[in-house]
Amino acid sequence: MAADNTAIIQMHHVDKHYGELHVLQDINLDVQKGEVVVLIGPSGSGKSTLCRTINRLETIDSGEILFEGKPLPEEGKELAAYRAEIGMVFQSFNLFAHKSILDNVTLGPREVLGTPKAEAEMEAMELLARVGVAEQAHKVPAQLSGGQQQRVAIARSLAMHPKAMLFDEPTSALDPEMINEVLEVMVELAQEGMTMVVVTHEMSFARRVSNRVVFMADGQIMEEGTPDEFFDHPKTERAKDFLDSIRGH
Amino acid sequence: MGVGDVIAEFGGVYVSSLLSTWLMTIICFLGGLALGVLVTVMRVSPIKPLRVVGDFYVQLFRNIPTISLLVIFVYALPYLGLLLDYRTCLIACIILVVSSFASENFMSGINAIGVGQIEAARSVGLSFVQIVRLIVIPQALRTTVLPMTNLLIATLLTTAIGSQVPLTPPELTGMVNYVNSRSVAGISAFVVSAICYAGTALVIGYLGNKLDKRVRIVR
Ligand SMILES: Nc1ncnc2c1ncn2[C@@H]1O[C@H](COP(=O)(O)OP(=O)(O)OP(=O)(O)O)[C@@H](O)[C@H]1O
Ligand SMILES: [Mg+2]
Repeated sequence: MAADNTAIIQMHHVDKHYGELHVLQDINLDVQKGEVVVLIGPSGSGKSTLCRTINRLETIDSGEILFEGKPLPEEGKELAAYRAEIGMVFQSFNLFAHKSILDNVTLGPREVLGTPKAEAEMEAMELLARVGVAEQAHKVPAQLSGGQQQRVAIARSLAMHPKAMLFDEPTSALDPEMINEVLEVMVELAQEGMTMVVVTHEMSFARRVSNRVVFMADGQIMEEGTPDEFFDHPKTERAKDFLDSIRGH
Repeated sequence: MGVGDVIAEFGGVYVSSLLSTWLMTIICFLGGLALGVLVTVMRVSPIKPLRVVGDFYVQLFRNIPTISLLVIFVYALPYLGLLLDYRTCLIACIILVVSSFASENFMSGINAIGVGQIEAARSVGLSFVQIVRLIVIPQALRTTVLPMTNLLIATLLTTAIGSQVPLTPPELTGMVNYVNSRSVAGISAFVVSAICYAGTALVIGYLGNKLDKRVRIVR
């Protein structure tokens, strides 16, 4: 049917409520393979919720979400296996507090993919080197700075060889001087062709690597466009007001 | 009879009653921990009926005096055709109570983990059972060393209700009756038992603190 469709993630008429609150309203969003989509919008507009429905950390009430053309598994082993293919990076890093940095990265490959220990550790060390925290491999998360922890979280996701990655405000909990070290890693990923959905207000990141900016407000996608279109010529009043507010006017 | 005389005359039996108390404490504590883990897994499982049963279990056994439970076991169970010896009844009762407290400790340990790590684990593709085994239990165990140390001491002291049923050898409190029915030691027999309890509790407390410092999770 839709054989010519190369979208890796497809959301069709997705609705979700939290009790009375209609948090996602008729969301339609396709993400192509290798595309970097930035989700932006005021607090409470539903960005996190949208992001989290893609790996089914949140369920939806109606509509459908397809990954590589197939509906997301609902539960059980299939869902776990699907989640293993989607990386997720959280605002609060969420490293496993009782495990070393190295073990944080090898846990998924060893337990989910069945990678032998030595091989998993070798690859983890390569990933940690790539994100610049190899010297910290034997420390525990609490001994690292926020920026370092977030880079480890990215390495942990990458260790699963994900087909797409979700980022929910990955730099919002960081001190300003640490934001760039995390964004640099994300820029590299984007340039290597990783499919990414990124909730962020970092305009520099959006302009540098995103293909599309999607603006949300009140649970709806209000407008979308290339970063230059959106940031320089927003179409809706909501977007103009929002951009003014984050630029500090 | 002074404390010295009590020790001189009953020292050997005291040692065996001390060992009896220790053994019961260890069995009840380990049994309580194991059952406590099981109940806790039920209480955090995605299956609602399991959660309800787990919560009910904890409310039930946390809120009944162990001694009442023991009376029920000793007098009521035979009517149901279940004949257990006194020691088994005693151990079973204490395990039920200890497991409900252990589960409460685990629950607070689990609540300290934070939903973020669990979501990260799910995102990596770990199953519910893997998350429980690899993330939840190891962290809950480490953060509950101190409360569990207290629970171990409470278990030790709770075994004193063993004095209400005939046991051979008696445990430390039953030993007081044993001594006083054979001589006129009076308060001295209590003092010797009390010293044994307090000494054991001090050692447990000390070791618990050391263990906590070693395994505590830096946050
Ligand atoms: N589990 C929940 N139960 C009830 N309401 C929720 C829940 N999670 C989020 N909400 C509500 O849904 C709305 C959208 O939340 P969401 O976290 O998706 O917004 P967001 O755009 O990511 O905001 P922010 O920029 O503050 O992170 C908010 O009003 C929020 O209070
Ligand atoms: Mg959010």
